[in-house]
Amino acid sequence: MSEAFLEVKNISKSFVGVTALEDVSLTIRKGEIHCLIGENGSGKSTLIKIIGGVYRADSGTITIEGKELYKVQAIESIRSGVQIIYQDLSLFPNLTVAENISINQMLESNQQKVNWKQIRETSKKALEEIGESNIPLDERVENLSMANKQIIAISRALTQNAKLIIMDEPTSAITKEEVDHLFSIILKLKKRGLSILFVSHKLSEVFEISENITILRDGKKVGQYPTADLDHDKLIYIMTGCKLEFSPYIYNKKLRQEKPLLEVLSMSKINQFSDINFTLQKGEILGITGLIGSGRTEIAQALFGLNRPDSGEIWMNGELTDIKNPEDAINNGIALLPEDRLNQGLFDFQSISDNIIVTILKKFLNKMGLMNSAKRRKAGNDWVEKLKIKTPNSFNPVNSLSGGNQQRVVLAKWLATSPKVFILDGPTIGIDIGSKHTIHNIIRKLAEEGMGIIMISDEIQEILDNCNRVILMSKGRIIKEIKDSRTTNSDELFEIITKDTAAGVNA
Amino acid sequence: MGSAVFSLKRLKFKNPKNKVLFIIMISIVLVMSIAMPSKFLSGINIQSMASQFPEFGFLALAMMLAMITGGIDLSVVSIANLTGVIAAMILSGSLDNGMPDGTAIFLAIVVIIAISTLCGLMNGALIAFIGVPPILATLGTQGLFMGIAIVLTKGHSISGFPEQFMVIGNNNFLGIPISFILFIFAAFLVSTLLTRTKQGFSMFMVGSSPVVSRFSGVNNTKVLIITYMTTAILAGLASVIMISRVNSMRPGYGTVYLLQAILVVVLGGVDPDGGFGNVPGLIMGIFILQLTQSGLNILAFSPFFKKFMWGFALLLVMVLNHLLQKRNDKKKILQKKNNIVVTE
Amino acid sequence: MKIKQLFSHNETYLMMIVIVFSLVLTIINPVFFTLENMFDLLRSSSGTAILAVGVFLVLLSGGIDVSCTTIAIAGQYISVNVLIASGIDSIGLAFLISILIGVSLGAVNAYLISTFNLPTLITTLGTSSLFHGLLLEFVGTKAVNVGDLPESIKAFAKVQILNINRPDGTSYGLSIFFVILVAIVLVTWIILKYTMIGRGIYAIGGNREAAKRTGYNVKKIQFFVYCYAGLIAGVMGVLHLSLIRYSNPTYLVGKELNIIAAVVLGGTKISGGSGTLTGTLIGVALITILEKNLILIGLSSYWQKFFIGLIIVLGVTITYAQNKISTRRNLAMRGA
Repeated sequence: MSEAFLEVKNISKSFVGVTALEDVSLTIRKGEIHCLIGENGSGKSTLIKIIGGVYRADSGTITIEGKELYKVQAIESIRSGVQIIYQDLSLFPNLTVAENISINQMLESNQQKVNWKQIRETSKKALEEIGESNIPLDERVENLSMANKQIIAISRALTQNAKLIIMDEPTSAITKEEVDHLFSIILKLKKRGLSILFVSHKLSEVFEISENITILRDGKKVGQYPTADLDHDKLIYIMTGCKLEFSPYIYNKKLRQEKPLLEVLSMSKINQFSDINFTLQKGEILGITGLIGSGRTEIAQALFGLNRPDSGEIWMNGELTDIKNPEDAINNGIALLPEDRLNQGLFDFQSISDNIIVTILKKFLNKMGLMNSAKRRKAGNDWVEKLKIKTPNSFNPVNSLSGGNQQRVVLAKWLATSPKVFILDGPTIGIDIGSKHTIHNIIRKLAEEGMGIIMISDEIQEILDNCNRVILMSKGRIIKEIKDSRTTNSDELFEIITKDTAAGVNA
Repeated sequence: MGSAVFSLKRLKFKNPKNKVLFIIMISIVLVMSIAMPSKFLSGINIQSMASQFPEFGFLALAMMLAMITGGIDLSVVSIANLTGVIAAMILSGSLDNGMPDGTAIFLAIVVIIAISTLCGLMNGALIAFIGVPPILATLGTQGLFMGIAIVLTKGHSISGFPEQFMVIGNNNFLGIPISFILFIFAAFLVSTLLTRTKQGFSMFMVGSSPVVSRFSGVNNTKVLIITYMTTAILAGLASVIMISRVNSMRPGYGTVYLLQAILVVVLGGVDPDGGFGNVPGLIMGIFILQLTQSGLNILAFSPFFKKFMWGFALLLVMVLNHLLQKRNDKKKILQKKNNIVVTE
Repeated sequence: MKIKQLFSHNETYLMMIVIVFSLVLTIINPVFFTLENMFDLLRSSSGTAILAVGVFLVLLSGGIDVSCTTIAIAGQYISVNVLIASGIDSIGLAFLISILIGVSLGAVNAYLISTFNLPTLITTLGTSSLFHGLLLEFVGTKAVNVGDLPESIKAFAKVQILNINRPDGTSYGLSIFFVILVAIVLVTWIILKYTMIGRGIYAIGGNREAAKRTGYNVKKIQFFVYCYAGLIAGVMGVLHLSLIRYSNPTYLVGKELNIIAAVVLGGTKISGGSGTLTGTLIGVALITILEKNLILIGLSSYWQKFFIGLIIVLGVTITYAQNKISTRRNLAMRGA
């Protein structure tokens, strides 16, 4: 039983009259892997920043190894051994691996002079310590894969005698293989006596790696438990305060037609996916899952005209279509809800209304090609109502909404085009469980009304709960199609995917 | 986005920035009218303000369109010079070769529009097809276009145009300069473009985020090419007014307009990063500039002091915008968390 | 292996273009490729190159500075007038005053940009107008002729190293202007490679947010960049005065776009964080050769603006077209 490394006591923080954290306390022991979990807006990132000395708490104390942190400066925290790895990794794409890794040390040493020999030595040592010495020191970071970038970020954190490493959503953009690799590194660090605090919303990973879990809800701590004492359902209950019923989606066979709504034949694109074949019927929710890097998003974008395949055919309702760009896709009744809501799906500073109608501008054009403003306004308001988007005014900028409401705006934007095929790439990423459920219900209703839906997701459970048919992908190929999702369960699927990946079968 | 809708009884502006501009504009008029009524409100002064307004106004409209899409067009003055030079050659040449005036004028205007369209196409192709950042593309083309103008004229000025042509720049219709009427008409068209067409809407979206607009099915390439073609045509039209007003054309004319155009666009509420802007705001910005300029002229300030003023004004506007934005951001956080309606 | 690496750099291609140009010019007019002509070229283009170093530094930090020429001419005009008015005939004093002016004006830029987070292009457009207006209004517009110029300034232009004798007894040599340029390039290189502030410039140009988070003092670095650029402009101002023996406060302003073009042609990215001093110098060489030698191939000076514009357009087209192709290739390879 080791002593406490970090003690957070009664921390409260408000911004401009809005409470971000209220009386939060938590303890992390030396060598402990601790997970911080909570919905969007629960206060996770504020808490991290307070521990890291980026923000000052309004009240409460932070104690590291028995010493209380008085000065609120990032440098104080760093000197006490706290290193934060933000979700965007905060790396310099234009600088080399060596310089990126050594940068903390360079700044800490307070020297004006730059010693390149030392930079090389530091970075070499840091990589060797976690067994990653095959990453070239002189490579510019922008040329590295996401997973390698993460390794650089971790190495950087280690150069400063880190004792506690805080990772903010470290697994959002890496493949399962790479996640395993990351976890093995985390275990190595634990053995060396480091504590790890990581923030994640991926419940399966939380259960896999953490020893203790702290749960935040609306700025308050609603529980701290040893991981072993919790299970999936219990955790969700504590996070949301409500028990959610999951029932699998059942396909209404009456909607089946002779010619499938969408048929993809032998679609291939070098280095991305090969020989993709599948069909989609009206009323189906087809799930596509696999590890990141298996080609799912690439296929989705190909269907939407953003990523022209090298070969293959796309048929809709028995007719061959040529989709060269998103405009073509929309004209053919295909819609895509993109993976990255903020950077691909929404115009941050534009109004909610404008974000919704951008896809249906031609509906408002009169004979002279001019838009009718009244019609435009009405359309925006109608959709806000239809999808119950919580806003006092549809002219407010869309960044004034919460994550769940923002996703509804993106949904509205695409539903407005009356799509026949709706591809949803990660529709509930970064969304609180409550909103997740609502969005799932919306999707189901659409399918029941005859839309063909393709849902792409990381979370196998989400797929099994919401799709009637599932396609498993690995490394660009379809490795299995499960015609009825009720016949299998997540463990089984998981095994199939990982086995295939591990077997190293090439695309 | 959105137009300024106002009634006389209660001045309601959809855009808060426009409200500020209106107040500034009225204040300047009042102050100057009271301080020097005889000079400021004289017919000569009003006419002189109204005459310089249009050619500059066209350039400002052009710059605004480019900046709404998140870019910039450093070549507008050069395009105006090039088209002006070529038109001048046609018009002055026609007096010698006996082409009837009407034909010459018609030809000149057609050529102006054709050449400016080509220039705009070049800018658009560089920016939209090849992906050259607008500042670099137009930096190159402004040299190219002005360079051609210089080569064609060997640096000399061309003068002597048909009298009928001079009407555009110098005569009045019902007491208002014709050029001003043309400008208002153009401003109206641009405003309609921005607020009521698919192209206009898309321009705002592309300016906000080219990635998101692509994912939303907008044809970024088409939107940008049309944008830069439009800016070029507006620049070409500016040259019509320019050369008809002074009855001559010399390459290098109006380079001072470039900075002023950017000033006026930023003043008028356009975000240099793109995505926002409106015509009424721009017009008020131009008014404020002209009023200040004329006031400084009356007070016999040197052109150098004016240069200082424009720089100062630009910086002041940007600093104020920044501080205003900071205040709004704080309000937004409140709004987001508590879903309170914030009345501006 | 080394040769392959060489060819992957933008600078190599650029150097080849410069060499080809020079060869063509030499064929047309053999006078071009003589040592004497080279020395002369270096003498007359050192000033532009010095300004380019300052512009390069600003671009590297992720900004754009169009006020460099205004700062240079302000430093020049003020210092020469002070010298004349005070009667002190010292080139050292001239440099000192000009540098002080340059750093002060650069600090104004720095303050506005770092405190209010303003877009750099438009800000420096504003300050350029502000400074120039102030200069012309309050210091004056009267040009200073060679006759009124302090002797030390005139003499400075004649200082040479590496004297070589001509057959008729006279000699020519490498101008001190070039030496100053080399000194500035060396100092800048050392700063960029071996000091934390230098690395900081790359950092804020590459990822400003990350620079803040890792502990770089972004404001301090920005202040340094713009003040240093101002300092360099101040040096250039006096050098330029010495070169052309004439001080007209309306000169120089307007050339900044060409200098930015030269730096960008040299491979410096306009988005920041990427670029080399070597590339910058080669870019300047290219533009300078164009500017000065069109006459040698029979083209009058009227063609200058056109050709420079053309080179810029061609240069950026090639760079960005290449960019587009390689991004597509990268995306395809990584499957992302």
